[in-house]
Amino acid sequence: MLAATTGIIAVGLLVAGCTQAGPNEPVGEPRSGGTLTYASGDAEPSCLDPHVGGNFPQALVSAQYLESLVSRDSGGRIIPWLAESWTPSDDGLTWDFTLRDDVTFTDGTVFDAEAVRANIAHLQDPTTLSSTGYLALGKVAGVEAVSSTVVRFTLSEPDSALLESLSQPWLAMESPTALLRSQDENCASPVGTGPFIVESWVKQNAVTLVRNDDYVSPPADAGHSGPAYLDEVIWRFIPDSASRYAALQAGEVDVIDNAQPDTIMQAEQSDAIEQLDSPRPGAANRIELNSGQAPFDDVRVREAFIRSANVDDAVSSLFQGTATRSYSALSSVEATAVSNAALFDYDPAAAATLLDEAGWTESDADGYRVKNGVRLSVEFPVSTNQSIPAEQSVFEQIQATAKETGFEVKLAPLDLSSWYAALAANDYDAVSAPYTKVGPDVLRILYHSDSIVPAPSGYFANLAQVSDPDIDELLTTAARTTDADERRDLYSDAQDRILEGFYVLPLYDQQNHFLLRSDVVGLRTLPTVAVPTLYDAWLNR
Amino acid sequence: MAESVVRRRAALRVLGRLAGRLGGALFVLWAVASITFFAVRLIPGDPAQAVLGGPGSQASPEALAAVTAEYGFDQPVIVQYFAQLGRLATGDLGRSYALNMDVGPLVLSQLGGTLVLAVLSLALAWLLALALATWSTRGGLVAARVATSLEIVAAALPHFWLATSLIVVLSIWLGLLPPISTGGVAGLVLPVLTLAIPLAGFLGQIMRESLLTALESPFVLSARARGESERGALWIHALRHASLPAISLSGWAFGSLISGAVVVETIFARPGLGRTLLGAVTLRDVPVVIGVVMIVAVAYILMTLLTDAASRLVDPRLRLS
Repeated sequence: MLAATTGIIAVGLLVAGCTQAGPNEPVGEPRSGGTLTYASGDAEPSCLDPHVGGNFPQALVSAQYLESLVSRDSGGRIIPWLAESWTPSDDGLTWDFTLRDDVTFTDGTVFDAEAVRANIAHLQDPTTLSSTGYLALGKVAGVEAVSSTVVRFTLSEPDSALLESLSQPWLAMESPTALLRSQDENCASPVGTGPFIVESWVKQNAVTLVRNDDYVSPPADAGHSGPAYLDEVIWRFIPDSASRYAALQAGEVDVIDNAQPDTIMQAEQSDAIEQLDSPRPGAANRIELNSGQAPFDDVRVREAFIRSANVDDAVSSLFQGTATRSYSALSSVEATAVSNAALFDYDPAAAATLLDEAGWTESDADGYRVKNGVRLSVEFPVSTNQSIPAEQSVFEQIQATAKETGFEVKLAPLDLSSWYAALAANDYDAVSAPYTKVGPDVLRILYHSDSIVPAPSGYFANLAQVSDPDIDELLTTAARTTDADERRDLYSDAQDRILEGFYVLPLYDQQNHFLLRSDVVGLRTLPTVAVPTLYDAWLNR
Repeated sequence: MAESVVRRRAALRVLGRLAGRLGGALFVLWAVASITFFAVRLIPGDPAQAVLGGPGSQASPEALAAVTAEYGFDQPVIVQYFAQLGRLATGDLGRSYALNMDVGPLVLSQLGGTLVLAVLSLALAWLLALALATWSTRGGLVAARVATSLEIVAAALPHFWLATSLIVVLSIWLGLLPPISTGGVAGLVLPVLTLAIPLAGFLGQIMRESLLTALESPFVLSARARGESERGALWIHALRHASLPAISLSGWAFGSLISGAVVVETIFARPGLGRTLLGAVTLRDVPVVIGVVMIVAVAYILMTLLTDAASRLVDPRLRLS
């Protein structure tokens, strides 16, 4: 058993090693010009301004025309972008950001402290209907322009995640002049400082972006300075995975996202197509066990379930080496992630013993464990919008192996609205829900007991329903601690407690694979939320 | 005097028939709107979430309260139903919850793509079916057998399978056609083939059967006896007779093409009503779902009237009744 597990880890490392080298080796001097067609498998945004709502499809496209105050490098350090520097006060309640003084929005409006104030006000205005940005600014009590290049954030309590929050595309800076237009207009053509400009948007077809020739403000880790190389970007929406890949093979499009394991394996046979693997930050993909109700209110039953699930074999066979098994609640791109493989060994014998101890001693005719006449059932609603086919198959494998120990896993494939409705009704024992956020503060959102209280929409993020005062204390303190080492230790302790409490069964990082034509050079993802940036990209054709 | 009475009676009969048609059409539209409204509202999912950026939005309480009040989601469903019906009665399709757009312009902007797809597919299906039917009745036993098998297989092909197979063979292996819609004529070929082939199989079966019956009928025999050529007997007499059931089925076929458009538009990434509908159902975007379904219902009603008229044109017996 141990040997098998080690083998899988070795394969996983090998794959990770290949992809980290990056597909784009330098091929001569970059050339300007040309049109790149990007095909997204994500839903078409209903609004191109990521302040409104705030989801991943918006982040993908808006990263081409909007920019944030700060960014993050591949080592996890916050780096300058539209803000050159920043200084927190000693009590952590006041942050002064010094802004670049040479940036204008593409409508000619000057980027200055007043523009930042207007953007934060826009995000915090309930009529903007912002979700993600609004949530990230929860501790921001006020913003004022100290001078034209210095803007001051006043916080209601210290926020160690402030810079990480501001690095996200959902909090990007838009022209305050453009924000004064109606929301419909701003949704159709948001105005930023980015390397491209939204020229037109034909719904259900494509967004056309053209180069911003006056561009001056790449993030500190960009590959070049000055305007982008590409003349134009056609941003298409191709929902079907097979057609998306067929369009890439035929050369109709140059880059596709949401590449599935089978197409990635096919692409590896092709010289014309390269791969870019860039796991998303925040939480790893994991199965949350609902500790708020039977049977998973008993830690022994949670551990038994985790021990009974043969995840390693399922992941390696169904993802064919394109995904690496995770043993952490956090994404592997988070420097603060704690990984503990020993907690997740597949061990049906141990699982059986644990179930005996927990009183699930009888078995019914179908081989499922029974206690006091109740069968050991696990309701597992699956979002068919969020779980790709390979992941749904992993769940089926888990269902099959857990059955051998006596768990009846009831998988219920649901569309997104029905799935959220099932969660809001507390109608689940196990669930897998992705969560993307920059930095370890995602732990507070997912595992602090405050997050069990549903929002008015019925949504709550703590789906494992972890309610542990010690974990609460660790996460609250970490969120207020700006000292990097101290903060890391606190998050480390919190993760130990979460993993050792068997609340979650980590699967793999949130998958984020791109396939591109080999003649597309210089494409990379922003290390904030792993959306691609076409700023450095050029066509070698 | 007597002549004018007859004429007036005839006019009244036509008016009565028109009124009946109109009433029927209105009833269909009302039923479609009502069933759609309750169907979408009865499946789980909160429409307020569609306004706030999709299901699972972490909207602030203030934002949610504002949306709930603005759209009247706090009203009882029956009140919302009558409000929706009232708006529809005045021709107002309302505003999309999710797309920041009025439904009228949205649906109209997507209608063209789907109509082009449906009309071309129907035309191609007719051509293919006619070709198969005539060949099978004239080409002897082998032709009849081959045509029958082709029709049965074609009629049973699911759209998603056919679409993927056509992409693999014609786009990837042979490199002849773009695998996704590109806006040009080339991008239309695969979607139209996908919709036309199964329909052609279905229409072909019906046509061949009635063609065989017609060719053995006394009127064809008498035409032959009058010295009509074999080709004339087929094209002027038999086909006219044989096309009747297929014409009346075309109204139904048009409806099935629209539902096929949901699959085809998604696979080939074509803008259109089918894709709009799919997205709207996922988000519980009630006004868009109702808007699309109403437009499809109107198209369906018009198509039925057209096939009716076409049947009368082809078959003089219907004109007399």
